[in-house]
Amino acid sequence: MDPQQPEPVSYLCGDCGAENTLKTGDVIQCRECGYRILYKKRTRRIVQYEAR
Amino acid sequence: MCSVVPGRFSTIFISVRATSPGYNKNNRVGYDKLGAGQNATVAVMSDSGYDIEDAIVFNKSSLDRGFGHCIRMKRYTVAMQKYGNNRSEKNVKPERDKDDILKKQNMQVLDKDGYAEPGLIIRDGDIYVNKKTPKNTAKSPGVTSTDRDYEDSPAIYKGDDDETTVVDRVILSSDSNDNLTIKCIIRHTRRPEVGDKFSSRHGQKGVCGTILQQEDFSFSERGICPDLVMNPHGFPSGMTVGQMLELLGGKAGASCEQFYYGSAFGEPSGNANKVEDMSYTLVKHGFNYHGKDLLYSGTLGHPLQAYIFMGPIYYQKLKHMVLDKMHARASGPRVALTRQPTGGRNSNRGLRLGEMERDCLIAHGASMVILERLLLSSDPYQAQVCRKCGLLGYYNHRLKTSFCSFCKSGENMQQLMMPYVCKLLFQELTAMNVVPRLKLTEG
Repeated sequence: MDPQQPEPVSYLCGDCGAENTLKTGDVIQCRECGYRILYKKRTRRIVQYEAR
Repeated sequence: MCSVVPGRFSTIFISVRATSPGYNKNNRVGYDKLGAGQNATVAVMSDSGYDIEDAIVFNKSSLDRGFGHCIRMKRYTVAMQKYGNNRSEKNVKPERDKDDILKKQNMQVLDKDGYAEPGLIIRDGDIYVNKKTPKNTAKSPGVTSTDRDYEDSPAIYKGDDDETTVVDRVILSSDSNDNLTIKCIIRHTRRPEVGDKFSSRHGQKGVCGTILQQEDFSFSERGICPDLVMNPHGFPSGMTVGQMLELLGGKAGASCEQFYYGSAFGEPSGNANKVEDMSYTLVKHGFNYHGKDLLYSGTLGHPLQAYIFMGPIYYQKLKHMVLDKMHARASGPRVALTRQPTGGRNSNRGLRLGEMERDCLIAHGASMVILERLLLSSDPYQAQVCRKCGLLGYYNHRLKTSFCSFCKSGENMQQLMMPYVCKLLFQELTAMNVVPRLKLTEG
């Protein structure tokens, strides 16, 4: 795998909630509504919390 | 839990097990809709001696059940800097070797885009934004930049080693000039500890003095064990008559399954409940008229000498927590001008031994402690003093001799340890035509 190749990561728009797939260096803006705040999606990794 | 304040991206505190108050629900703020505390069973008495000066003694089992737990959400902001030559800081994905194993251990929470992943546990020293800064910011534009032209400038999380903190949310936002800002909210769930601050709704605030086992707590004939013990000395100084009314009204309301309301205004025409009615309800349900209970000592088992004023009071946790405030320093940064330690909690600054602390040490006769704190641990300086003229000289490092520049000789020189600010003061006085002269009695 080429280390230079940026991998796409999907984000959620803060306004309309649409899913945006962006690569490193892309402009942070929703493709649907043009909103400039994007949220990262929750991890898919398995996490174990301790509830005390 | 986190959706309580969804739009806010700043440091906030949220109660984990919020309950609605069982007394005084008629309010315009609406804190019975969004609770910020718990209804604690309070015993107004002294227990263990760790409740002097408004301190509160807590029941450990109550804390295990969730009393006073809170979530702290802290925002960490990282801005991607832009430079004039069409270059900017960039974010890169964590480097992995050919077996797909991370090259650095502190990159565990990073996603493929180089930002922390929400939901992962973040530890001290972990990177949450894997940022790189261009080395040459003055380089002319047009030249294609490679990875070698960038150096690492990651944002590293500073946390406590044994505390579990979680990346709650991460947002990327850009403005109209394409300036990228990354905000990470990091969540920390906290259990009350000694030194955390609590308050009832009457401003009767106090810190947690100690946490006792429920087995050692006093209990009533009905088997009721208080969640916390409050010292009665808080009442005359705090003048919180309303809190006593809340205890009474809360107890009466809990026994007859309704919400009592107490107010300083509105009587007799208003809907506020009178003490007399509350007391009557208590008697009807088998309690003492004054709201007092017979308690048995948790350690010895005998009945306590006095009847104890006990009942529910709504308690809230305040944001002043020891975890955010504790601080100590051995060595660290100093101010260049005075050579004394810098102040403040951030980045390992010093703690001031003030005038009152000094007075205390004088009263103890601990002169060597004063010397150590005010000179050796602060700004020691080896001064060269001329015994003849009393002025400060200098040390010639090449000839390894000291010299008085006023007498033009190095014969009568004497070494002297003094605070650097003292030497600085002498020089400043000399500069404004006041001459301080040192007269040495020894040496």
